Amino acid sequence: MDGRVTLNQVAMRFGDFTAIQPTSLEIASGEFFSFLGPSGCGKTTLLNMISGFLTPSEGSVAIGGVDMTRVPVNRRPTAMIFQNLALFPLMSVYRNIEFGLEVRGIDRRKRRERADELLDLVALGGSGDKPVAELSGGQKQRIAIARALAVEPRVLLLDEPLSALDLKLRQHMRTELKAIQRKTGITFIYITHDQGEALTMSDRVAVMCDGCIQQVADPMTLYRQPRTDFVAGFVGENNRFPGRVTAVDGGMVTLDAGLPAPLRGSAASPLVPGDEATLYVRPEQWRVGSASDSSLPFSGVIQAEHFEGAWLTLEIALEQGATIRAHLPQALESAGVESPFKVGSACRLDYSPRGALVLPGVERGHSNEESVDVAATA
Amino acid sequence: MWRQLHNRFGLPLTMAIVSLMGIWLIVMVLLPQWQMIDYSFHPALLPAERGGAKDVWSLTNYATFFRNEIHLAIFFKTIWSSVLVTTLTLIVSYPLAYYLAKVATPGQAALCLLLLIIPFWINEILRTFAWYIIFAFRGPLNEVLLAVGLIDRPIRFLNGDTGVLVGMVYAYILFMVFPLYNAIESLDTNQIRAARDLGAGWGRTHRRIVIPHAKPGIATGCIMTFMLAAGSYAVPALLGSPGSRWFTQIIYNWFFEGGDWNQGAAYAFLLLVLCIVFVTIIMRIFKVGLGDIAK
Repeated sequence: MDGRVTLNQVAMRFGDFTAIQPTSLEIASGEFFSFLGPSGCGKTTLLNMISGFLTPSEGSVAIGGVDMTRVPVNRRPTAMIFQNLALFPLMSVYRNIEFGLEVRGIDRRKRRERADELLDLVALGGSGDKPVAELSGGQKQRIAIARALAVEPRVLLLDEPLSALDLKLRQHMRTELKAIQRKTGITFIYITHDQGEALTMSDRVAVMCDGCIQQVADPMTLYRQPRTDFVAGFVGENNRFPGRVTAVDGGMVTLDAGLPAPLRGSAASPLVPGDEATLYVRPEQWRVGSASDSSLPFSGVIQAEHFEGAWLTLEIALEQGATIRAHLPQALESAGVESPFKVGSACRLDYSPRGALVLPGVERGHSNEESVDVAATA
Repeated sequence: MWRQLHNRFGLPLTMAIVSLMGIWLIVMVLLPQWQMIDYSFHPALLPAERGGAKDVWSLTNYATFFRNEIHLAIFFKTIWSSVLVTTLTLIVSYPLAYYLAKVATPGQAALCLLLLIIPFWINEILRTFAWYIIFAFRGPLNEVLLAVGLIDRPIRFLNGDTGVLVGMVYAYILFMVFPLYNAIESLDTNQIRAARDLGAGWGRTHRRIVIPHAKPGIATGCIMTFMLAAGSYAVPALLGSPGSRWFTQIIYNWFFEGGDWNQGAAYAFLLLVLCIVFVTIIMRIFKVGLGDIAK
């Protein structure tokens, strides 16, 4: 069963609006692949082109090496799980699951056998005769999965299927989806704006913005080596320091961002002194110490403190007026020691240059709440 | 319902609303109907004889109907033709309603609805008369068909049921389109997409997903169209021939040509019973309650 999905220069335009820029991509058979991006980035459009609900304005879509561009929805070897699940409310669970088999002319007994198998797979054995309306949110989710798997698709398309569930159930379903994917070996293409979902489940993730794929990588690479400013800001949190390169030493770059001390970080691509560049520091990379600790080169004042359970988020205004976010582990609190960090008190801080990334250019286009732009305003 | 009204409007206004509704129901609907039914069980008498010895309850008026083969035939023909009109209207309206609800952009849908509604600003008689002109022996339709070469001689459209059927489908199409449109519009489009995605062709998608969902709308549309068709007078009078008479025309004749109100009342009551029976049957077939239709 070849579940490769190949996008060859596909583009989608609605009138003057370009929803998808020409995009090429190869998704391997049996891969759990996610498209991650904010709403309106074109990820659903891309999914609709793979499922056949939309015909691309340009380029082609192939599944298992066979061109699908002109194949109608009902003849494609894909199945979709909709955001609202779209279970048929007038039918029982059995009839929902058997719908696709009935369409294919499979006889009643075989359909029932297959439906029972699938109900067992999604751990809902014995609830086939229930009306759909009687199921809970999580159960509906599983029935939607079973219904889609019933037609033995080569590719399963999932359009933010977990977004309606509460946090606990969502986390549980992540594990379960991943397990079902392993068991069935079907290619899963998953659409989400939730980076947690994308990072935990996927083999590879494509980060999208404004109809473009920004980066395709495995989750760890995506987090550690984002290639664009958008990815650096969208996947995880980042503190941004736009500035100018002053020195290059092997892979390490020194940057003048208007702060009292120069900033150092590792460059992802070759830079020369004089280039504009941006340095990114993850909140968990900061080391925060008391105001008297002169070994730490930067100083600031704590503006706000957010308790987030496993860690403490501090908002610290640097001397120059820019504010950064830092995550501190909660070890101190749990040891019964009172935190030395109080709102309004001064502190000193540093980060490890090895963990900070420098990307060429100073982007101003994308700002979103997950990344903090630390333009020095001194 | 009383409590809801009471909570919202307070006692005096609620009393006013309910008593207005009551007066309207009793004075405008129940009493006249009752009078008609009462008429139908009495013989036609001169004013002087009313209340006299001859004024007795009798089933004579109904017996007249069942003894008159022509009237019986027209009665059943009216039922059959009304069913036909209803079916045709449904067939014409369903694709239109589906297009309006699920395919058209909001702009297209608004334009379409406007085009559907504008003709209804014109009186039904005038609209029907327009068809009379179109269908005339030397009218535009025959001229066009002759010019195109589809026919050699003009057709007498008005001689038979064609004119009546077309005229009625046209006259009542909105009463079918709107309930259908409302019903289909409320269907989650993802359901249609899911069915397609699972491999269903268009036929099956409509049969299994859209039509079951639209059932209350279909029932409402069918009931309204049937009642209007069965009770129609203008369309068969204008577009029908003597061979395609409607039962309403017979009722009219009893009242205004024959001057026998009692006989007419019996016939009218039979038509009413027929409509009630039809509505009940349709509701059984579609398994919908009165509540679904009221939506």
